[in-house]
Formats: sequence, structure tokens, C-alpha cells
Amino acid sequence: MSEGTTNLSLAETVLKRVDVGIFVLNKNFEVQLWNNFMAHHSGHLAEEMLGKNLFDIFPELPKPWFTKKVNTVFMLNNFSFVSWENRPYLFRFAHNRPITGGADHMYQNCMLMPVNNENGKPESVCVVMFDVTDTAIATNLLKEAMEKIADISNRDGLTGIYNRRYLESRLESEFDRTRRYGGTFSMVLFDLDFFKKVNDTYGHLAGDKVLVEVAQRISNQLRASDIVGRYGGEEFALILPETPIEGAQVFGDRLREMIELEPVIYDNTTIPITVSMGATEYSADLASYDKLILQSDVALYASKAGGRNRLTCYSPELESIAASGAKH
Amino acid sequence: MSLPILVVDDSAMARKMLIKSLPPEWDVNISQAANGIEAMVAYREGKAAVMFLDLNMPEMDGYQVLEALRQEDMNSMVIVVSADIQPIAQERVMSMGAIAFVKKPISFDMLNSVLKQYGVI
Amino acid sequence: MTLAALTNDQRDALQELTNIAMGQAGSSLATLLDAFVDLSVPRIRVVEVVELPATLAELVGKNNLVSAVRQSFQGYLRGEAIIIFGEPGTHALADLMGYEAELAESGQAELLLDVANVLSGACLGGMMEQIRSFTDTHGPAELSFSMPSIMARDVPAQAIIDPQKVQWTHSLLLEVNFTIKDRNFVAHLTMLMPEDGIEKIRGIVDEFIAAF
Repeated sequence: MSEGTTNLSLAETVLKRVDVGIFVLNKNFEVQLWNNFMAHHSGHLAEEMLGKNLFDIFPELPKPWFTKKVNTVFMLNNFSFVSWENRPYLFRFAHNRPITGGADHMYQNCMLMPVNNENGKPESVCVVMFDVTDTAIATNLLKEAMEKIADISNRDGLTGIYNRRYLESRLESEFDRTRRYGGTFSMVLFDLDFFKKVNDTYGHLAGDKVLVEVAQRISNQLRASDIVGRYGGEEFALILPETPIEGAQVFGDRLREMIELEPVIYDNTTIPITVSMGATEYSADLASYDKLILQSDVALYASKAGGRNRLTCYSPELESIAASGAKH
Repeated sequence: MSLPILVVDDSAMARKMLIKSLPPEWDVNISQAANGIEAMVAYREGKAAVMFLDLNMPEMDGYQVLEALRQEDMNSMVIVVSADIQPIAQERVMSMGAIAFVKKPISFDMLNSVLKQYGVI
Repeated sequence: MTLAALTNDQRDALQELTNIAMGQAGSSLATLLDAFVDLSVPRIRVVEVVELPATLAELVGKNNLVSAVRQSFQGYLRGEAIIIFGEPGTHALADLMGYEAELAESGQAELLLDVANVLSGACLGGMMEQIRSFTDTHGPAELSFSMPSIMARDVPAQAIIDPQKVQWTHSLLLEVNFTIKDRNFVAHLTMLMPEDGIEKIRGIVDEFIAAF
């Protein structure tokens, strides 16, 4: 018998002292067991907790969610898990990295296990809680770094707006999304007029300044879902989700006017800038997203042929202008 | 004369388990079918005074067999034997004319009590 | 390592074990979602790992965008359960669980994880229960599960697993579908086990066959 007693107290000692939170609830959410980890982090000793309703002592717990979670374990007699990635913590405890942490609470992973009576029916639920603050901090840092890297590789070095590769991938996904779920979107391609002359007259640094300034002004006008990128040398593109061609026309014209009305100042020199634009809208009969680029290019060409500083919307008739232009 | 019974299940193992669970003293002539189509052929040949019917089968499933039987006067006592233990599945087959529902894994005691209850043995 | 395919008898017996286990998983899912769940006939294959992407695409449907949750299990058997949800899965789930239409990203993930955990827990638990009923040759048939995690969101089925990252050469693939018809919900439960697991299963199945 003495061996049994020793084993029991051994198990009890371990349960009490292990650096993992362990507590047990019955069907009424009354606490049946509360180990030292829980006591030390919550400031409520086992003697205070036993027999008490968990939510009475911790009214800040997410009651409806946690009730559902525990009830599911009772109902299905199956394990359940809670990950810090979906829910950073169950109990808001301070963590053990007060100086170097960069987090203001302990991140927790929880496992809920049914505890069965002799008939195999769950009588209580044991919650095991792991402090995963270190993992969470490391993962979050890594995620931030990865996002930063991904973002840098998507951007144009000079202007800071998106680059051509990213623009095309977004155009493709917008195209696929619209084809799948319906709706529409437009794209606008535009060119700085006589940009070569700007470079020749004012120098390349002035040219760069113009590109940066135009990129910035346009970025400031965009809705959160709009995307602007540098498509080539002095060529830019806009993707406007949920926007029919009429909307793209109004918005594009506004940008065009804004650029025309406010010349770029470089080194006390005023540099007048205008842009030519070509706009087109998604249509279900297009074979792939690059057809949209071709169409907006045709419309852009028409704007240039028509005297520049204007916006043209694509229509099939424009193809012949572009074709005759291409011969020259 | 032995009673003709038909065991319908796509799994040979499941058929074997069921046959092993039948009361040894029961005087029966056992036929087997691996899907609903084979089951209907055997039924029309008079081999199914009692039919043990699985629900979840390729080709023609248990629900379709019950439907076909209903169109042909249901001249058989159908006991559904299924791993699908949802209460709605049970209600559905009973409403389609099955006399009993036995859940898998099959147990000798459970099967015996169902057979007794319906006076089959 | 070459691996003998399962014999017809072994495949048939394993299919029945799986069928019974998934009946319990289906019932748990039905309870969780309060809806009637249609169950498929289980499909069982021994596949080379390099063929896994193509096989999964074939089971789930090519060109379908899916989300997937993985959960490893260890103890009596060692392997991974991969639960694959069809494209409208998350929305249908949120709807079934009575959540607001617009569920935050982390809420959606939690929902997928919960359902995946219920399916793999009930299915493997059901399998262990059956195994306990006919053999204890290989020790107590008990498993522990690790925390499930999202392995892919909205990717084509063939992109779920990168065979380069799998340590094994062969896998035993058990696949079942759970469908809620009028709600557009489909979940595929696949269980993957490495070579040593396949041999163990073969031994268990042989005992199962011999027991009847």
C-alpha cells in the first residue's frame, strides 16, 4: 500500500510543480483542480478556486467561446486545442520576459482533454496550458521580417510603388478572382508625356524626381484596394478593383488633371508635366489577363496619337489606329 | 425449409463479420451481395426473406435499395447494418421501410435481440 | 525500400475498419454542426510519396482551390491526418456554426482547426476502439494528438503537399469525404502513415481477418 501512496504523492507533486498550467472543470465550470502554475500566474490559490465557478473568479474570460469549446469536449468526448495564433491567450497573464519580450502578455497554447468516469463518459475537462511566449515572439519577428522582405521585392527601387512583376501577379489574381466570383475591375496604363525631353533638358536627377513625385501624388489619391505600380521607364499602371470603366475614366481624368495643374519643382526649376492614359475594363470573354494590358496599351497609344494629355477608354475600333501607328 | 437471408455489404469482411454474428442455431440459407444491384437480383430470385443491408456502398447504395424495394412491394424484412450512426440516418431508413437499425461494429448480442424482437428467431 | 501492395483481403478489411471509424467521425461532425452528413465509401491506397500531389488532386478534384489542416498523431500508430476543405468550406462552416457572415481571418482558421480536430480525433479514436476489441498484440491501442495547424489556404489540391519535404518514400493513404449537401460543405479526411506504420497496419489487419 505504501508504494501506492508514494506514487500518488509523486504524481501530485509533479502535477503541482510542473511548469505548465493544469486545471480541471466539471460540467458546471466549477474548478476541481488548480495547479501551482495557475495559482502563481493568476494570483488565485487553489484553496480559493476549488469548487468555485471559473467565470465568477475570472469574469474577463471569453465566456461564450470558452463555454462552447468545453461543451464540445463533453459532447464529443474528444480532445480540443487552442492555438496562440488564433487566440493569443485564454488567461491574460504576465509573461516571463518582462525586459526583452516585446509582448505585454503571455502567449498560450491550450489542450482540453475529456476526463472519463468508469463508464467511459466524460465527467470533467482537464485544460493544459503551455506558455509559448518565446515561440510566439520569435514567430512574429520572423513573420514581420518575411513580410518586409516580400514587400521590398515587390517594390520599385526608385519610386517605392509596386514593380512590374508584382503588378502583373496582382492583375492575374484580380482577373482570376473576377472570373470566378463575378464583378468587374478596370486597369489604367499611363505614360509621362515627352519624358525623354525632361531628362535631356533638366538632367536625369530631375527626371527621377518627376517619377518619384508623380508616383507619390497618385499613391495619395488611391483607395485602400487600388494598386499602382511602375510598369516600365516612365510608364505606370493602375489596377482598380470593383470599378467599371466609367469609374476608371473619372478617376483617371482626375489624376491626369492633378498632375497637369501642379508642375514638379526641382532645384528651383518648374517642370510642367502631363500624362497620357489608356483605360480598359475586365470582360468575361478575355482569354487571359495580358489581354487587358494589350487593350490599355492600345488605348494609351490612341491618347498619344490624339495629342497627349488625355485619357482614352479602350474600344475595338482603336485597334486600327494602333495598327497603322505601328507601321511607322 | 431454411430461411433465405441476404447479406448486402460492399466489404467481404463486413459480410463475414455479420454472418459470424448470426445465431448458430438459426436455420438459414445465406446469400451475399456486394452492392445494391446484386442485392436486387438476389431479392427477385427470392433469396431475401430477411435482408441485412449496408447503407454506404458504391454502385447502388442502401437508400436506393430501400427505394427500389418499396416499388416492388417490400417482400423482405430489411435490417439496416451501418457505420453511419447519425440519428437522422436511422430515422430515414425506418421511414423507408426498414424494420430495424443495427450499428457497426456489429455485436452478437445486439443482433440477437433485434432478431428476437421481430420474431425472426 | 520496396513495399508490397495490400492484398485484396487486407484492403477490404482495412476499408471496413475505416468505414466504421468514419461513421463515428461523421456522427461527431453532425453533432457539432447540427446537420446531416453524407459519408463516402473510404478509399485506400499505398502510394509513393512522389505521387502524393497527383493522388490528392485526383481525390479532391483538380483545379479546386482548397484549404488544409494537418494534425500528427503518435503512440500506437504514427502518421499525419490531413483534412482538406473544399473552397466554400469556411463560409459554409461559419454559417453552420451560426457565426456572422464576415468572420475574421483568425476566427475562420480556428473553425477549420476545430472541425479538423473533431474529424481526425473521432475517426482515429474509433479505429483504436475497434482494434482494442480484437487484438492487444502490439500494445495498448492508444494515440495522442498534437495541435492541429493550417498547412494551406486556398491553394490547388496538388500544391498541398511538397513531396520533397516528406521524409518517407511510401504512404498509406486512407481517404473519406464528409459532405453536407445543401450547404456546399465538403471535407476530405486523409490519413498518411510512413512505411513502418504500413507494416504494422498490415499485421493488425491480418489479425482482424483471422478473428472472424
